[in-house]
Amino acid sequence: MLPMRPELLKGHLDALLLAVLEAGPQHGYAVIEALRTSSDGALDLPTGTVYPALHRLERAGLIASDWQTVNGRRRRAYQLTPSGHVALGEQRAVWDQFSTAVTAVLGRRAWPATV
Amino acid sequence: MAGHRLTTKAGTHAQSRVDAYLGELAHLLRGPRRRRARILAELRDGLDQAIADHTTDERTEDQAVESAIGRFGTPRAVADAFAGELATAYARHTIAWYIATGPLVGVWWLLLLQPHPWRTGLLALLAAIPVLPLITVAIATAAGTLATTGRLIRWLPEASPDRALTATIAVAALALVGDLTVITLYLRSAEPAQPLAILAIGASLIRIACSVVTLRHATLMRRNSTPAAPEAPDAGRHDARR
Repeated sequence: MLPMRPELLKGHLDALLLAVLEAGPQHGYAVIEALRTSSDGALDLPTGTVYPALHRLERAGLIASDWQTVNGRRRRAYQLTPSGHVALGEQRAVWDQFSTAVTAVLGRRAWPATV
Repeated sequence: MAGHRLTTKAGTHAQSRVDAYLGELAHLLRGPRRRRARILAELRDGLDQAIADHTTDERTEDQAVESAIGRFGTPRAVADAFAGELATAYARHTIAWYIATGPLVGVWWLLLLQPHPWRTGLLALLAAIPVLPLITVAIATAAGTLATTGRLIRWLPEASPDRALTATIAVAALALVGDLTVITLYLRSAEPAQPLAILAIGASLIRIACSVVTLRHATLMRRNSTPAAPEAPDAGRHDARR
């Protein structure tokens, strides 16, 4: 699948990152890879987009990070906070409503012209 | 670069390529030192992981390094992506410093310039310490910026990095004007010299120096963070996974 343009994700990136972290703690690169693989390559975002977005979510208190040492390497793992779980639920509801509305409009086919 | 922990199989060339990439990125990042160090440590880990993922039977390690670096983007593109975060962090740190140290400077002036006991009320206080309105505006600006760049951004409109830096410049300028005003007023008054004045003037002079440095840094960061012309969607990548 062709990668989507990053600007198409504007407004939805937070929800996507929260959804990826719902499964459990992950480090930044794993989040990027999870987005890519779970979307069959459509969500192949530049590193510079994902890390600042994760840091912003942490500032908002929706995720928390923890520095760990794995095989002598310092690694920052992110996980959802209770507020993050609530926010994810809210954003899922908003997305359902939004996608239903957009699909209703875009999915409508014009009737064939009659003579 | 010290601390690089690529896989044990990594060749010298691969390591030096990663070090050069991160070194160039470190040179381009502007903002609080600890925040920059954390960003670089996190990117180094991600880069090491990406190299490990890209190292396959068909690819040499050098190719894997180039591919991983290509996926991360040019140092300039990555630095630009973090510019906003670093600018906001700088604004928050600086404003928190002003809030924390404000009372340490203000208390000496309050003790020194407090109205005579027989004059009471707000007007008397304003007449004795005319910079109080400036302090009020600075506190309101600082509180507003901290609120709209921190945890409350879930509910409040988030301040842009440019706006946070503008607020930092405003707080530093107000502190500078306030300090200069009280020092000038005291020196021009006919008050007899008091030991307390040494503490008050000393504290203000230190803050004036800090405010000048803050104004310079924040102005430079604001100038550099001014958004450039929009880039192509994949502009950050110099290797499209060939």
